[in-house]
Amino acid sequence: MTSLNRETRRLEEAGSQLISDAFKAGADAAEVCGSYGSKSKISLEKQDYHLAASDEGYQFGIRVLKGQRQGFASTNSLNSKELKEVANRAVEIATFSPENPYFSIQSVAESSSAPNLALWDPTLALTSLQTQKEWIEHLRKEILKDKRIRLNEGTLEVGKSLSLVVNSKGTHQLESETYCAWSLMAMAADSETLTSFDYFSNIARQSARLGDHIVQTTARFREALLKNLKTGTAPSYKGKVVFSPRAVLDILIEPLCYHLNGRVILEGSSRWNLQTLGEQVLSPLLNLKDTAWLADRFSCGTFDREGTPTQNLQMIEAGVLGKIFLDHYSAKGLHQTSTGHASGGSSSLPSVGPHTLLVAPGATPFSELMRQTNSNTGALLLVHRFSGQTDPVTGDFSGVAKGAEWWVNGEFQFCVKETLISGNVFECLSQSLLGLSAETSIVDSGSESPAALIDGISVTSG
Amino acid sequence: MKDLASRIQQALESAPCWMEARYHRRRSHSLQVQKGLVKQTKANLTSGLGIRCLVDGAWGFSSTSDLSAEGIQKAMRQAIDCAKSISQMKKSAVPALPPTTLSQGEFTLEGYEALEKMPLQQKLQAALRAESEIRTASKLIQTSTCVYSEQFEDKILITTDGARALSRLARNEIRLSAIAADHGEMAEGQQTVGRTGAWDCLFTEHPMEEMGTTAAQLAVDLLKAPRIPGGLATLILSPAMVGLLSHEAIGHTVEADFVLSGSVAQGKLGHTVASPLVSLCDSGFLPQLPHAGGSLLVDDEGVPTQNTVIIENGVLKSYLHNRESAAAFGVAPTGNARAWLYQDEPLIRMRNTYVQPGNQSLQEIIESTEDGYLVDCPLGGQADATGEFMFGAQKVMKIEKGKIKHMYRGATVSGQAFDVLRSVDAVSKEFHLDLGAGYCGKGQPAKVDAGGPYLRCQATIGGVQE
Repeated sequence: MTSLNRETRRLEEAGSQLISDAFKAGADAAEVCGSYGSKSKISLEKQDYHLAASDEGYQFGIRVLKGQRQGFASTNSLNSKELKEVANRAVEIATFSPENPYFSIQSVAESSSAPNLALWDPTLALTSLQTQKEWIEHLRKEILKDKRIRLNEGTLEVGKSLSLVVNSKGTHQLESETYCAWSLMAMAADSETLTSFDYFSNIARQSARLGDHIVQTTARFREALLKNLKTGTAPSYKGKVVFSPRAVLDILIEPLCYHLNGRVILEGSSRWNLQTLGEQVLSPLLNLKDTAWLADRFSCGTFDREGTPTQNLQMIEAGVLGKIFLDHYSAKGLHQTSTGHASGGSSSLPSVGPHTLLVAPGATPFSELMRQTNSNTGALLLVHRFSGQTDPVTGDFSGVAKGAEWWVNGEFQFCVKETLISGNVFECLSQSLLGLSAETSIVDSGSESPAALIDGISVTSG
Repeated sequence: MKDLASRIQQALESAPCWMEARYHRRRSHSLQVQKGLVKQTKANLTSGLGIRCLVDGAWGFSSTSDLSAEGIQKAMRQAIDCAKSISQMKKSAVPALPPTTLSQGEFTLEGYEALEKMPLQQKLQAALRAESEIRTASKLIQTSTCVYSEQFEDKILITTDGARALSRLARNEIRLSAIAADHGEMAEGQQTVGRTGAWDCLFTEHPMEEMGTTAAQLAVDLLKAPRIPGGLATLILSPAMVGLLSHEAIGHTVEADFVLSGSVAQGKLGHTVASPLVSLCDSGFLPQLPHAGGSLLVDDEGVPTQNTVIIENGVLKSYLHNRESAAAFGVAPTGNARAWLYQDEPLIRMRNTYVQPGNQSLQEIIESTEDGYLVDCPLGGQADATGEFMFGAQKVMKIEKGKIKHMYRGATVSGQAFDVLRSVDAVSKEFHLDLGAGYCGKGQPAKVDAGGPYLRCQATIGGVQE
């Protein structure tokens, strides 16, 4: 399965040593999250090649319990003496930390329901620098096909990694992956207009047809950038706005996840709680699922930060609250079981977060959605990128709609500049949600959503 | 450190090209207390060496945590291989870096040892007390949180053209948050502070207890506050908001890498870009404010940091440079090259960015404002190469006929940076560096600070429309 035999052995040995040293220092339970990564990257800057870089290293974090007291320490060293110091430091921290009844280190079952995710591609693992140069040349040539593009920076990175979670209760999870990730940050300029920066990133875990994939994603990004050169001014109004899939995820779904977070529910800062499960909390048009099993997305894997197997979860079905995200801490506090949503890396303590969110499509073709108009303006704003603030507690959001498009009767007119939008997430996803498009888009190799027609948005022209 | 420096120096003597070796050891601690429970106490240690080289007009970079002589040699070879791999593909070769003043010696910022000596347990007890202050400030407080973190940075920077600097500094920050709830409404108030130095310098302006009660009061007040109307308005920005404006709206557009990519500041040197009341600087170290959050004496290319005047009386005077961009513009580097960790290559970043104070008092400015808002308590922001910026504020107070009236819920402020600076018609003599616990994100995080006086300008508020 993997050719990282030496690295796997080192990771396993260091994990065992850390747990053993922690027990010698007085720990009652211990968990090690370890990782190994090796990557090479080539970057572009100002239309040209900028830098080539390589990096290889390990990272270990050890969490220990002494009764109900917890300590954590991490290091990037493989040195046996330093590993012992790290284990001792974690125990020392636990010794002076007050008790917290929700801390636990638990035994979890090996993943049984997760499919074979095909995260490892032997061909990609052996990618030569020459091949990597060919791929980034595809990227550079494609984005610069139009002379109006100004490339600020671009990167293509090829890497392989290992993730390990072991604990003193018998949990043992190991996963390896390969990836090629590419990203661009650019703007467009002609004699009259300089557009805002735009950004995109993508990931692939298989080398097959990678060159084509890079060309296609870059071409789409270039065309979107050039569209921003046609600018105009929109009036201020309050009314209907279409949120693109990116806007739906960034502005509406991300703050929603704050309220679905088991730790936030446990601390009483969510608008929902266990009693709300099964209740209609949002528009019946909204269906939201979370999965970690899509191998072509950034966030995927068969186990979480605590080693708990991941699963597919229907978070919201027809507006009814179905599930919440739980790690062991929040699960213990709420008398539930973990849903496999402990997030974080080897140098951080577990927190809670989603994997890949999938908002289900609606019934209305996107073209039909865009034929809607506001009676006060005779037009409709299509919001893409959002540069602003969302208060997850209240759900209020306010910010600049970057590259937003002005449409009249289903036809694109121009992109607006210096235009702000504001509203409230929960109003947007309840009575103000008028429709979802039948088509969905994957945003930056991550979550996926349709476009949404939403009423009651304040649009302020600068 | 000195033994390691000698080992690195010795390895670099065999370098066949210009080469820079940067050892970075970061120790950090973080504590989180919420509703009387300690949720997090952790310690992190990361150390390693980043090697950067310039071969045939191309940059190569490699990093390693193996600090043996063999490990260093291997990283040097890999960096050279990386540079060679793209040198033939470059359209325009990077010219050799011209000689410049480079740092040699030991550079330590005050407070490192004092912060190190103070036991983590003592800091945890203080965090528990601070969280308790918030929780007991009002019955409406639903959730109270205190997060404390500190970083100890040890660096060795050696280049083949003469830099040999050993530097040490400690940074710390505290974040206090209160969430109030009443009849289904919720609101959050925050107070944050970030400094370079010992524990005490976090509380030189506001004691910890006061910060906690201020966060709680803000959350309670915001519960009842209405949403603000959107549109162009007269704003008096607090020093913290001026810091955000300085950093987001102006600072990023004058970073020379953005300038070379075509930012709005390109070609504007010597042009009037702001009101003559506005002078803007970026400084690595301010003797009068030695604990500013973004302080550093030497940058990550070995260049001594300095006070760079970006705008003087409204005229754009300088961009912010690393060695490569300074050579491209034919000027001296400004000491703005910074890397987050040893695995990161240095980028052009700000340090402590501020507008210089003026002559009026805040009271005079408020009294001479017919209709406007006093904007305070920043929530972060973003800027564009076009100069378009936005930043969030937790607290917006209405001003009518020279008097402060009621509070609105937080809002976003946006505008075109240089247009907003041209609209400045009043600058206070009160001055603070007050960005709080903020980090700048530009591919890598960087600890920065920013501030200035109270400043009156015109900008757009992203509020509600009727």
